[in-house]
Amino acid sequence: MSQALTRYSALFDSVRSRRRKSDVPKGLDVLAARAGMLVESRRVTLGWLRAQAEAVEALSGEIRNHSEAALDQVISETREAFVRGRHDAAVVRRGLAIVREVARRCTGEEAYPVQVMAALALYHGRIVEMLTGEGKTLTGSIAAPLIAWRRRHLHVFTVNDYLARRDAQSREPIYRRCLLRVGAIQQEMGPHERFEVYARAIVYGTPKQITADWLRDLIRMGAHSSAWTGRQSLIAMGEAGGGPMIPGLQAALVDEADAVLIDEGVVPLIIARARRTDDMAEVYRRAATIAASLDEGPDYTIDHLRKKAELKERGRYRCEQLFAQAEEPIWRARRRAEELIRQALIARHCYLKGHQYQIVDGRIVIVDEYTGRLLPDRNWEHGLHQAVEAKERVEVTADRETMARMSFQRFFRSYPFLCGMTGTAADATGEMQTVYNRPVIRVPTHRPMIREQWPTRVFRRGEAKWNAVAAAVEEEHAKGRPVLVGTRSIEASEHLSEKLAARGLAHRVLNANFDREEAELISDAGRGGPNASIVVATNMAGRGTDIKPDEAAIAAGGLHVILTEMHGAKRIDRQFIGRSGRQGDPGSAQIFLSLDDELVRLHVRGVAAVMRRAGTGEELSGAARAAATKLFRFAQRESEARARRGRAGVMKQDHWIDKHLPGM
Amino acid sequence: MASERPTFSPLWHRVRALKPRLRPHVQITRQHYRGRRWHVAHDPASNQFYRLSPVGYEFVGLLDGRRTVEEVWSISLGNHGDGAPTQQEVIELLGQMYSSNLLAIDSTPETEQLLSRGRDRLKRRMAQQAIGLMYFRLRLFNPDRILTWLEPIFRPLLNRWGFLLWLAWVGYGLYAVVPHLDELQAMFKTSMAPANLIWLSVIFIIIKAIHETGHGVICKRFGGQVPEFGAMLLVLVPAPYVDASSAWSFASKWQRIAVGAGGMIFELAIAAAAVHIFASAPDTLTKQLAFNAIFTASISTIFFNANPLMRFDGYYILSDLLEVPNLMNRSTRMLQHLAQKYIYRCENLRPPTTNPTERWILIVYGTLAVAYRVFLFITITLYVLGQFFAVGLVLAVWSAAAWFLIPLGKFVHWLAAGPQLAEHRIRAIATTLALAAGAWLCLGVVRAPDHRRAPGVVESRASAGVYFGAPGRVVAVHKRVGDRVRAGDVIVTCESPAVEYGIAMTRAELAEVQVQERMYTAGNPAAAQVARSIIEAKSETLRTLLDLQSKLEVRAPQDGVLVPGAAGRDPGEFAGVHVQRGQLLCEVVDPDRVRIAATMPTSHAQPLIELPPGAYTVEMRSVSMPYDVVRGGGVRIVEAGRRTIPHAALGFQGGGTVEIDPQDQRGLATKSSEFTVYIDDLVKDGRAWRSVPGERVTVRFTLPSKPLLAQWWHRVEKLLQARTDI
Repeated sequence: MSQALTRYSALFDSVRSRRRKSDVPKGLDVLAARAGMLVESRRVTLGWLRAQAEAVEALSGEIRNHSEAALDQVISETREAFVRGRHDAAVVRRGLAIVREVARRCTGEEAYPVQVMAALALYHGRIVEMLTGEGKTLTGSIAAPLIAWRRRHLHVFTVNDYLARRDAQSREPIYRRCLLRVGAIQQEMGPHERFEVYARAIVYGTPKQITADWLRDLIRMGAHSSAWTGRQSLIAMGEAGGGPMIPGLQAALVDEADAVLIDEGVVPLIIARARRTDDMAEVYRRAATIAASLDEGPDYTIDHLRKKAELKERGRYRCEQLFAQAEEPIWRARRRAEELIRQALIARHCYLKGHQYQIVDGRIVIVDEYTGRLLPDRNWEHGLHQAVEAKERVEVTADRETMARMSFQRFFRSYPFLCGMTGTAADATGEMQTVYNRPVIRVPTHRPMIREQWPTRVFRRGEAKWNAVAAAVEEEHAKGRPVLVGTRSIEASEHLSEKLAARGLAHRVLNANFDREEAELISDAGRGGPNASIVVATNMAGRGTDIKPDEAAIAAGGLHVILTEMHGAKRIDRQFIGRSGRQGDPGSAQIFLSLDDELVRLHVRGVAAVMRRAGTGEELSGAARAAATKLFRFAQRESEARARRGRAGVMKQDHWIDKHLPGM
Repeated sequence: MASERPTFSPLWHRVRALKPRLRPHVQITRQHYRGRRWHVAHDPASNQFYRLSPVGYEFVGLLDGRRTVEEVWSISLGNHGDGAPTQQEVIELLGQMYSSNLLAIDSTPETEQLLSRGRDRLKRRMAQQAIGLMYFRLRLFNPDRILTWLEPIFRPLLNRWGFLLWLAWVGYGLYAVVPHLDELQAMFKTSMAPANLIWLSVIFIIIKAIHETGHGVICKRFGGQVPEFGAMLLVLVPAPYVDASSAWSFASKWQRIAVGAGGMIFELAIAAAAVHIFASAPDTLTKQLAFNAIFTASISTIFFNANPLMRFDGYYILSDLLEVPNLMNRSTRMLQHLAQKYIYRCENLRPPTTNPTERWILIVYGTLAVAYRVFLFITITLYVLGQFFAVGLVLAVWSAAAWFLIPLGKFVHWLAAGPQLAEHRIRAIATTLALAAGAWLCLGVVRAPDHRRAPGVVESRASAGVYFGAPGRVVAVHKRVGDRVRAGDVIVTCESPAVEYGIAMTRAELAEVQVQERMYTAGNPAAAQVARSIIEAKSETLRTLLDLQSKLEVRAPQDGVLVPGAAGRDPGEFAGVHVQRGQLLCEVVDPDRVRIAATMPTSHAQPLIELPPGAYTVEMRSVSMPYDVVRGGGVRIVEAGRRTIPHAALGFQGGGTVEIDPQDQRGLATKSSEFTVYIDDLVKDGRAWRSVPGERVTVRFTLPSKPLLAQWWHRVEKLLQARTDI
């Protein structure tokens, strides 16, 4: 009986979450929403947090002296208070002090006041900016019990499966002591296991896993859009299985919140199946052949920025001639046929091996733009993937049919409670507020940060830049400092690797092609001294990697980070640079740019070309350099704005459908 | 470049598996617009419409609740190839039809969604009300029952024969009105008197109610529904309205036009009836009422309801006649489209139409409608300001916000965040700034000539009245108005038997007394003394009489031209008339010494007063010789702020342009305050200008050049001043 009740309540919660569709404000409502946000963000200020943290500190003295049994007693009482909805400021302070003490007894880690402040900010639904190495794990684990007590189910999102499993295990004693069950969702888990894990109070997992499970729930429960119709299906299915896997979305705590919520916010998670009948392979191959026979310029133009191809009159005419020779009927439908050609042209010019994808075992595998990792189970949509396959002359797979699709943006907006931690949230404050209605707060570091930012160097040509980078690596290496070099693409990392090898520098490369060595490589990356480590890495080394410089390295000046290109968003640059100077360690960072970098080439092509031609010498100096850095920053802002617009557009479309059509 | 229509949409999966079907009560009718077939889906319950192209119609027709959207789409692709809707178009079609309650989708209805949709609709309606404060709508009741009762009564007439009958009736009314045109015109002048205003508004409301009944009955006749009757506050004047929008789904365009014209058809029939009542009205009240009915049901209808530039009957009739549905919206969009395409050079735009004829219709109509809207705004604002200042000011500010600030805000928002500009926002902003700077340069910086015009009349500076010196009867007229005379010329000759007789008698008496005096001189000195005094008195009387006799010939007092006196009569008119002594015959004026008296509203005259006399030039042209330009000097502006004009010829009654208080018999009192301007020195081609007094002229004051904006602002300011001191 009680199990049936649990399942019914899970169903009810699931339906309720599914129907939660937050409004996108329009017109004057935007102003009202902004005003509301301003009020909301004034509610929790640093000063207030500090005062609360001091109060918690004061409570700690008393709780520290509790016996184990007495501690259990107060835990149970406080939990009771939260569950019954009595969670005023005093109860929250007390709860925090208790959990802090529990954490101290279970793991021996005592939370610093700044961590208590951050935990409190999380409890109040803030996106908290904490620098790398400031103990995000501990902060999360003292905030999580309070949130779980109050909101029943908490999903904690981590960057990868390994971290989910590790954190769930290492924090388990704390949570158990707090009368909460914890579990971690792993890629290889079967449905029954997942069912069981989701029923627990705190669930660790990657956004991808949990979103996918939520989507599967949606597909399974699709027809039952109300608890009433769902109940009948529950009865029909009997006791075995059935019902939703995730008992509703109650609360989310997101690690690396800006990466998940902003950068990957609109990358759709798709559950797809191959189409049953598909004889399109020949069509895609022919499209690739035709595209290869056209000439850029007279026949078509390519807009690299928007990833668009435009056929000109001559190209149209030539296509028509070629279509006439093809036998498949699709070439008779002119618009569709031209669309295929345009797609083939885009695949040819805008999707490059080593940048957007790699070929692994004769298959096209997408490389994630933000993390530099391979995404083996992701495909481009609407035939683009096939067009790329046809271009690379690998086997053309069947086009896939989308069953369900959801962006993280949409998924996380379904949570009534959302909070997060990240090293770089401040740059995305505006979007966090407008899209997720969550204010951002910046918590100070425990120890002052002493990383040095060396002046940016700008070169006219890419080649000169790479030589200068290699020289700089050599110089720092000679001092006995570990060096981490960041590149934007796999291709670039390999190019630099050759340069370094030519100089006889022992180094290691971390990119999607060599991701298996990641853990070992990172643990070694902090090595200093005469044998100091040199690592050339794509963005893979950007997030979640904690490089600890050893004593020799610290003595030599800590980790030196070189960034060889600016990314599309400032946050990603900051993330990468943030690898050095953690927890008050010494460190330094420097950016190397060239005027033919992709960023300026796409966004401010004309100005960059003029600057490249004006003046002499390989490297820019003085006012020219200042102007160039401004230009790069401008291009970066353009790119950020473009990405933001794209995300806003997706949100609007989603909202339109929610409003105008029934269903999920 | 044709706009791209990508076949696939990333959101397709959200509709792919749905199994929608048309709601059972949705009615679909076929309509033709400019030779193209369309299908209008109409939900009579909620009065929502959706227009489908033949391909879209086929698509919707295939949705039977068993096929999925995916299946239907592939059928459509098979049938039409490139002509089939793309995935995005299908999503839009389904979304719009579903939210218009035309589609049922298999899942159980989502109550929340339905409710929120209802809330949205209500909110939109409220917002529209708030914006259109000048067209405030108040729903009253559902007139269906009344119309169901009325419709059979009118049914025998609602056909071709009825229409012919109506034509004949209205024609007969027109025929009957012709003899009474003068009378009607006279009544028009007095119809705005306060006493009549109440009657006028009562009649107005009754006739407009009949008008709306006309729409309703004809709509009903062709099978439509009329679910709403209400009152609209048109610029604070209440006017009834009905919701006959279900007529939009009628298949025949003539039926749609008939519904649109229904109101006017009924009204004109009433007007024709009122003409006959007017012609045979026994008393003035009936006459006045009949006049009100004629006025409301014909003039106001034709200027107001038939005007296609506002969203009233005429608009819908025009829209149906041209076969361009949704004319207003689409023409606005067309103008926006043109601006986006040619000024901002946006790419990948979807024009509102591809049909070249329709394109021109939209462009022309859109331009006219915008111009008219601005014109209307200005006139209505001025009118309302004049009537109720405080309310008017609020209304004006409100409508300015609604008509100009909101579009401006939208435009700025579009400029800042519009998706079409995503690629070249900076260029678009630069273009806008350049255009704004250009406009500012033209209006705010470049000086434009500033003129003031005023009507004037030529006056003589040296005029002398010619008066009758003696009572008598005019027997001969020697000179007429316009004749040149020299001093002493006889103008008319009178005869007076009384004077002649008096002279004869006095002479006789004088002779008698002279004899007596001679008799007494010797013997009776005292008596002689008395006789001498009598002689003196009689001589005096005789002299007076002889003087009178001489004055029976009325002579010109000076050289000049004869002009009518204040009574405005020609000497010829006095022939045979008995006249009194001192009565004015006419005037003699010297044409070489004339001046001009002009009148201008206080607001116009202000800058003239503020400027030193040399700072502006004065030119005038006479009505009879419009090509001769006369330059003037010695301007005197007098009688500040008086409500009179210097000469009756300038007033409305005298044939001029200044509005005159109808109560004033002399025709000099004005309604608003006027300045009189005298211009003394008149020079043409270097010589003094000669003209005949009484001639009308137009005076043009050329002020120093000023930017147009400053000029306009000045006018607005003066206008407000003039209004506030009323």
